Amino acid sequence: MRAFLDNLRLAFGTFIANPLRTLLTLLGIVIGVATVIAMMSLIEGLRLKVNRDLSQLGANTFQVTKWPVGFGRVNWNKYAKRPNFTLADRDDVMKHATLVRTVSAEDAHGGQKVSTSDRETRPTVIIWGVTPEWTETSGVEVQSGRFFSQAEELEGRAVAVLGQDVVDVLFPGTDPIGQQVRVRNRPYTVIGVLQRRGSFLGIASMDNLVMLPMHAFHAAFGQNRSVDLNVQAIDAASVKQAQEEVTQIFRRRRGLSPFDENNFEVHTNDSMTRMFNSLSQVISAASFGVCLLSLVVGGIGILNIMLVSVTERTREIGIRRALGARRRRILMQFATEAVALSLLGGVLGIAIGYFVAFLARWVLDFPAVVPVWSVVLSVVMSSVVGLAFGIYPAARAARLDPVEAMRSE
Amino acid sequence: MSVIRVEGVTRDFVVGEETVRALRGVSFTVEKGEWVAIVGQSGSGKSTLMNVLGCLDTPTSGSYWLNGHDVARMGDDELARIRNQEIGFIFQTFQLLPRETALANVELPLVYRGVGRKERRERAREALEKVGLGHRMTHRPNELSGGQRQRVAIARALVAEPSLLLADEPTGNLDSATGEEIIRLFADLHAAGHTLVLVTHEPKLAARCPRAIRISDGTIVADGPGREVALGNLAEHARAHG
Repeated sequence: MRAFLDNLRLAFGTFIANPLRTLLTLLGIVIGVATVIAMMSLIEGLRLKVNRDLSQLGANTFQVTKWPVGFGRVNWNKYAKRPNFTLADRDDVMKHATLVRTVSAEDAHGGQKVSTSDRETRPTVIIWGVTPEWTETSGVEVQSGRFFSQAEELEGRAVAVLGQDVVDVLFPGTDPIGQQVRVRNRPYTVIGVLQRRGSFLGIASMDNLVMLPMHAFHAAFGQNRSVDLNVQAIDAASVKQAQEEVTQIFRRRRGLSPFDENNFEVHTNDSMTRMFNSLSQVISAASFGVCLLSLVVGGIGILNIMLVSVTERTREIGIRRALGARRRRILMQFATEAVALSLLGGVLGIAIGYFVAFLARWVLDFPAVVPVWSVVLSVVMSSVVGLAFGIYPAARAARLDPVEAMRSE
Repeated sequence: MSVIRVEGVTRDFVVGEETVRALRGVSFTVEKGEWVAIVGQSGSGKSTLMNVLGCLDTPTSGSYWLNGHDVARMGDDELARIRNQEIGFIFQTFQLLPRETALANVELPLVYRGVGRKERRERAREALEKVGLGHRMTHRPNELSGGQRQRVAIARALVAEPSLLLADEPTGNLDSATGEEIIRLFADLHAAGHTLVLVTHEPKLAARCPRAIRISDGTIVADGPGREVALGNLAEHARAHG
């Protein structure tokens, strides 16, 4: 223990004697560890946020869609061949399902400009076509004015409900109700404004939108597309059975034999969360790989500098050996130095990672959290790297003959 | 019990195809409290003998007892322990750690003996005071004169209270006045009962020692009172160059 403390003191003496060199040597390790800590904290934050934001999808509601909510490699061709969902599908579910309270259909077209006679938004607004039940299935409420009625939907009336971001841009300080907005050169009368919903995952605003009745939406963007169905079960206990019921209705309606797989997707908050978690594991593994690589690079830096250090201090090693240091003690001295160097890098990296997480929280309002296991992992990995790359120079130092070593300059 | 007992020590070095016989059977003893010079010209084998005596090297054959320890058969770790406990080294080029203070340099042998920090510091301080450097403890070697550096080295040799002080050309890198100071310090240490072995090529220095051993071609050619052995050396030197 005393020998260890003496070695540690020696190591830090060396670092203080060569601060710049020490810092540069550490850089690889610092970057590697900072990357892993920052990435893990962001992924952890994303996971928390996804779990929270996904549950904003209305209560007891699940989605039936043509497309999987896919990330990564997906066989698009296979999904493209699936039949579209239409409003007739919606009506059919409403007619036959017993465990379903209501169903809304929705579709969206992004990247649109919305304008008034004298103002215009940037081309980032998402135009939604929805059926009137959407307020129930989404749980989103209208802040002022009203949502469109069944009649307005069926008649394909050119009416619109705006999100708060659009109101902010087009109607600053004035009441938008009763005013006209234009989308794709078609005029719509504003009849309501949605409550502010904030942003999804801290990235995408959920208020930068215009809601149109589905028929009006189809008139503007074409009908040859699949809608998504939001199905609300009669109560929380029936969600699972309602899913089963709806699945069977569509299988029958689409004439699938018992051996065919579903040619549509059923998502719940749960299944989306699960999918996101598996995605986050992929990201974790990838960034872990990157981090491992930079740790190896950092380790080679340590190997290099330790070899230089041993050469420079050959005489010192000779003196120590002559005065009674055993080979093992010299080995330990240099191994301790390498591990301390690497650990120092690890600690600096952890600090920087924490700082990044802190910035994400306070500047981006993103709930980044550094997972404890990532800190433990970083400490362990940087020690291992220090030992793995420091042991060879240390062994070289220990092998030196004292008489020869003292003769060197 | 003798501090040094050397019997028939040989040391061969294999250099490529050739075997260089640096020591060809050396025998002598040094008793406790003696002050002995080992003189010889370069290539005489005195450096090899110094390394063997200092347990930095082991003989090819023969025996060496240092303060009763059979050193000739020891392994590397045991030799390190013996160096640490039985020998105080004083080198021509001082061999101080440049980054450390005088105090830390003197502490070094105690570090490897496992002495605690506080006691180390205390004993190092005492040793530095003993060699007259009580006012230079926190200086680094490059802030000290040559004579002061050698005093630090002597303090380092003394601090662990070894049974043998082994000095290799201790005045070789010093001017004559400073060298004289160091010799006087050795005389004081001798008077205080330390056992001193001093390896040198300078007859003048050997003449100052009560006893000198002259080595040539790997064998002892003279062993007696320092003045006589040194004079003999001078005579031979004169003959060689006459």
